[in-house]
Amino acid sequence: MTVMRDTAVKALAKVQVQSDENGLIPEYEVLVNLLPVKLLNAFSERIMAAAPPERKAEVESGLVRAAYECGYHTGCGIITSDIFNDVVMPMVTEDEKDILRGAYAAFTAWGWAKSGIVQLKPAEKMIIRALDYYEADSGGEGLRGYMLRGLSQAFFDLAYAETYPDGMDTYVCHQTKGIEVGDPHGEFVVVKK
Amino acid sequence: MALNLEFTMNNETYRHSLNGHEVVMHSHHYLALITKMVEDLTDLGGPEILSDVTEETIITILNDYFQKHSLNDTEERLRAGEDYFSTFGLGRMYVSGGADGGDVRLTSSHLDEGWTMKWGPHDRPVNHLARGFISAIFSAAFNKPAKSYGTTETASIITGAPESTFIVTAL
Repeated sequence: MTVMRDTAVKALAKVQVQSDENGLIPEYEVLVNLLPVKLLNAFSERIMAAAPPERKAEVESGLVRAAYECGYHTGCGIITSDIFNDVVMPMVTEDEKDILRGAYAAFTAWGWAKSGIVQLKPAEKMIIRALDYYEADSGGEGLRGYMLRGLSQAFFDLAYAETYPDGMDTYVCHQTKGIEVGDPHGEFVVVKK
Repeated sequence: MALNLEFTMNNETYRHSLNGHEVVMHSHHYLALITKMVEDLTDLGGPEILSDVTEETIITILNDYFQKHSLNDTEERLRAGEDYFSTFGLGRMYVSGGADGGDVRLTSSHLDEGWTMKWGPHDRPVNHLARGFISAIFSAAFNKPAKSYGTTETASIITGAPESTFIVTAL
């Protein structure tokens, strides 16, 4: 049995995080926050707009890096969490492939991106298709799926690079299509760095 | 008075909302790195951009909440602002003051504690998101538009202080 995406998405979507008496949300070995999508999108748009042409790559890289490190560290907490163990791991028969399928079920269920793997060559290449992602609503110019780029790179590192925490920056993710620029879906390609 | 919280999910996109406003989970790594990035981009106005977008977004959310729940008392509005800060997982906030401004304390802080876990203490306050959030609370509580208040962080958990403190001034 491989990971049944719809079953995993539905089960993971029921997860709700709640702050403790200190107003903090300690989950998945990190402190979680729950921020408004409009805040995040407005921030990306405005910080990119503030950068002169010669510094846009630097700012874009910073946005992707924030998502990447968040994804790498939180991702490790997610794929070792009780909920992932309960919902996804019983369906895992193809090791890393299925863990990645489960991860994209979590991305979908938790509102990051309604996305899934359309092509996977283990430890070499992965192509992701996203039918909805919150950054597609952001204003600005060009492809703007910074979050999904960072997360996809992070989870491929977790699946196929050196064991956590030594596998950072082994792979890189490029966005090749975007809803935000008029494409029917977003497309993200992960390859060796 | 506890905040009324309604979490919903769009069954088509799986996007999640809190009281009608879309929200998404991230970790302290994300907010710490975003904050570090704006610090590094001070010459581009990075810290103010983060503070400003927070203020503008939170004012909308608070005004919407106050209207839906007929919350007209300013003290209740300030408490609702504190509760929203906690609901977002950003820490425990205590606000005091009036239309002319006030003081705010954070006894716990997602950003400061997250930054410290990631990189250790820092030599100066950097909670630009909280500054914007606090300005938004005051503007919404006293029926004023964005940029009606200036908020300065005067002490910070990130530097080793037991609490973060902020001074709010009407502009």
